[in-house]
Amino acid sequence: MIELFEVSKTVTSGGSPLTILHPTTFQIARGRAVAITGPSGSGKSTLLGLIAGLDAPTTGRISLEGTEITSLSEEKLARLRGEKVGIVFQFFHLLPSLTAYENVLVPMEIAGAREPASRAKALLDDVGLANRGHHYPSQLSGGEQQRVAIARALANDPPIVLADEPTGNLDSATGRQVIELLVAVNRQRGRTLVLVTHDAELAKFADEMIALRDGRVVS
Amino acid sequence: MNVARDVRFVVRMAWRETRASWARLLFFFVCVAIGVAAIIVLRSVVQHVRITLTREARSLIGADLVVQSSRAWTADLRARLTTELGTSVLETSEVVETQTMAAAVEGRGTGTVRLVELRGVEARFPFYGAVELDGGKVYSHDLLRSGGALVQPEFLIEMGLQVGDELLMAGRRFTIRGVVTRDRVQRPGGGIAFGPRVYVDLADLRATSLLGFGSRATHAILTRVEDDNVEELASRLRRTFIRDSVVVRSWRGLEDRLGRNLTMAENDLSLVGFAIVVLGGIGVWSVTRVLVQQKIRSVAVLKCLGATSAQVLATYVLQVLTLAAAGGLLGLLLATVAAAAIPASMLKPFGVSSVGVTWSAALQGIAVGLLVSLLFALVPLMEVRRVKPLLLLRADTAMTARRRDWRSWLAGLATTAALALIAVWQAGSLQAGLYVSVGLVVMASGLFVASHLLVRFSRPLARSPRFAVRHAILSLSRPGNQTRVILMAVGVGCFFILAIRAVQANLIQELTVEIGQNSPDFILIDIQPDQVDGVTAAVTPYVRTSPRVLPLMRARVVGVEGRQTRLVNAEAVRQHGELTREYGLTYRNAIQNNERLIAGTFWSGPLTTAKTPDGFDTEVSIEKEVYDDAQVEVGDVMRFDVAGSVLSARVTSIREVTWDEAQNGGFIFVLRPGPAVQRTSHAFVGFLEVREDPAARVGFQRALVKSFPNVSAIDVREIVRAIREVVDNVTLGVTIVGIVMLTGGTLILIGAVAMTKFQRLYDAAIYRTLGASTRRLAAMVSVEYGVLGTLAGLLGAGGAGVLSWVLARYLFEIDWRPAPILLLGGVVLTAALVSVVGLISSADVLVRKPLGTLKGE
Repeated sequence: MIELFEVSKTVTSGGSPLTILHPTTFQIARGRAVAITGPSGSGKSTLLGLIAGLDAPTTGRISLEGTEITSLSEEKLARLRGEKVGIVFQFFHLLPSLTAYENVLVPMEIAGAREPASRAKALLDDVGLANRGHHYPSQLSGGEQQRVAIARALANDPPIVLADEPTGNLDSATGRQVIELLVAVNRQRGRTLVLVTHDAELAKFADEMIALRDGRVVS
Repeated sequence: MNVARDVRFVVRMAWRETRASWARLLFFFVCVAIGVAAIIVLRSVVQHVRITLTREARSLIGADLVVQSSRAWTADLRARLTTELGTSVLETSEVVETQTMAAAVEGRGTGTVRLVELRGVEARFPFYGAVELDGGKVYSHDLLRSGGALVQPEFLIEMGLQVGDELLMAGRRFTIRGVVTRDRVQRPGGGIAFGPRVYVDLADLRATSLLGFGSRATHAILTRVEDDNVEELASRLRRTFIRDSVVVRSWRGLEDRLGRNLTMAENDLSLVGFAIVVLGGIGVWSVTRVLVQQKIRSVAVLKCLGATSAQVLATYVLQVLTLAAAGGLLGLLLATVAAAAIPASMLKPFGVSSVGVTWSAALQGIAVGLLVSLLFALVPLMEVRRVKPLLLLRADTAMTARRRDWRSWLAGLATTAALALIAVWQAGSLQAGLYVSVGLVVMASGLFVASHLLVRFSRPLARSPRFAVRHAILSLSRPGNQTRVILMAVGVGCFFILAIRAVQANLIQELTVEIGQNSPDFILIDIQPDQVDGVTAAVTPYVRTSPRVLPLMRARVVGVEGRQTRLVNAEAVRQHGELTREYGLTYRNAIQNNERLIAGTFWSGPLTTAKTPDGFDTEVSIEKEVYDDAQVEVGDVMRFDVAGSVLSARVTSIREVTWDEAQNGGFIFVLRPGPAVQRTSHAFVGFLEVREDPAARVGFQRALVKSFPNVSAIDVREIVRAIREVVDNVTLGVTIVGIVMLTGGTLILIGAVAMTKFQRLYDAAIYRTLGASTRRLAAMVSVEYGVLGTLAGLLGAGGAGVLSWVLARYLFEIDWRPAPILLLGGVVLTAALVSVVGLISSADVLVRKPLGTLKGE
């Protein structure tokens, strides 16, 4: 369950305040898939960052799985992310100095999970990269990197998966494979999925859509 | 539980990060390794020497206690000494050391005449340690009895003589009966040896004319005493004979002094290694800054995945520590190899045949390497705390500006304080450690400001019509280019080498000027008053100009009655600190060409009465130095102890001596001739300009040996050669330090190129797509590093020029001569070195295909 109550974000730009997300309230029930859409600069990524606890709202409260995150310290937020939130980025953001297998392993090591090695291998197998685990990100294609990123997001079996334009940097065929994986995350694993996307094909798989324009929810 | 989890994660991540980037970081830690190696080698060598010498302290003075004087023992002094020594002395043995000319008898050897250090010994010499002879022969005083002599191997070679040949010294014939290969007993008088040592029986030495009045000899009584009261006895003797120009040395005192001095030397020398480690540390600081910039995204990802700032910080700290430990171990390896490679001939003078790395030195070196690396890396690593994971979603949230928070400032201050503490620890002294720390901070700040200014001044070149020059200058200001760090690192190495070379050039030029064409090249000493005319006549056929013979008396100041300075006796003079050394005094009636009168009036003729009108023995003219340092003025009265008799003199003038022109002698004190002065026992000294032909140089020495065996001729050129050797050795030592530093600087340069390679690859790919050829790219790189090298060279040469001026002006007190060719050569060589190293390190950038790079981006 994700709950936002009167959440807004105002930043200072050129010396004057600029509201990039106006007070917003909504709830996303456990196991739902929600697509956040809108043109560039509408506040989509800001909203996703706030839900992930990567940024603090100017006003309002956010709670994830019953935990209010707006008052948590950076360290506690990091721990919470490690346990409850998996994130998939448009530019993959794998650690370049680690192999694909190690990239999947890292969140489990941080969380102190048991038997992380077998789980990392299983996750790589799930995303079709069982044979590519020993490769470094620079040796993988964009689609493969994104699949590793999805496996990494699922490493600690988080109840919430957030994805920021997951197909935005991929060709359509590779993008389709990624969409299928994300849909499976939601439908087969029952994870709450929040997608920020421009991709209509991806958005249509969502149970709900939140459309943003100029920092306001328009539908 | 959580701690164990965190530690596991940190260790694994550090290992992975190190695995990925060790090659890029290697150079910086090799630089640390060099400093660690320097600390380990220097400490190990000095520790070995200290252990050996302190163990052999008794052998070094050959006795438990030595009482010595530069004057012959008077009956009164002997009686008092015997009383004082009492029953605590088990046995005694006398030694006298002096210099004389040695020659082979006619028709034997090379015909060379040589000044030697003559050591006359009695039967029981030495009480401790052994005089080792060639061929396993055992030393015995019987070898010396009745005209026997023992010589050193180099003397035999130089003279072309063999054991069994005869030697002419002080008008007597001695037979060479053995060759001394090892002799630990030091010269009691200290100072530089004028020639090889020759052992004779003290009875034979006394039978010569060498110990006549005014001769330069050291008379020593070696004693063996009960071990438990040696220091107590030494202190009592020092107190008792304080007014008798007697020096008392004990083996315990020597052991303590050696231990203290060598510990101090070990600590001081290790600071050289510390400075090199700090240079490596600056490299570590610089590389860590770049590393953090390059790792921002990785840090953000880790934070997104749930890692805390502390975990990420610990990961990179552990990475630095791992590499520093590797650098330390490499340093240990380098030190082991270097210690084993030190030639035995270099160690022999210290009584050590070989050195190995000691545990304490190894631990200290590695600990310093680890600490310095950690401290320099810590401040830039603190930046990872400020990396926000949000930047993965919004690039505009990347680390905000370069603003530092209080934690960074605190870390910076703590780092500086910790470095100062390490310096104090290494120096073994709070004062020395703080001096070094302040010195390093001042030098680093100076270099930083100078490098900043140099880069700034080079900016107009960015408008050059030449493409390569324009872009090379722009590259110097590229973000993360580490220009200033490279300038500092290479500049420091260049600075050390050029500074010491410049100082050496100044010293040698000064010596060359002093020993110029018209300077005396031989000094005759110990000429007795009745020999002056004879010696002059004997040497006249061999000299270019008439010899100058001056009276010379050795004296100490034993009292001053002045307006500003009042020193009632010798003890007061000693406590005052100035005027304590033994001076060479002369007397004459006129001021010399190299002297200028600055106060009072110089007398115009000898004193004809027994006393001056105000009741003193004579008048004295003092050098400005006495006025400046001891505040003695015109009108004051000084008392001199000349060979045991006290001479009082009113100061009537102050002179300033131009020491550069003092080839014929410069004197601090000049007395007015008169009956009292003439009565004091004194000898004469002669200055000769001998003809250049070898026959004249050997002939005059032979003539002297034959007719005036007590007179010694000191070859000034040999002294210059000896001084030059010392200067050369010091220069070599400092040059090695400079080369090590330059190597460190070069490694930092290579490392900097490696660290910024990704940016360079991208830039090169863009240039290539815009039509730049490999040749043009190579030209850009060459010019960039050429300019960098030139700036580093200018920094080093500028610093070297300033330092050589300061040392020449204030330490050596000589005229400073700029060494433009040396400094210019240094700049050109540094530019060439940096250019070539930069070009080679960038080879990959020049040959890489652009498409691969651009796709990678």
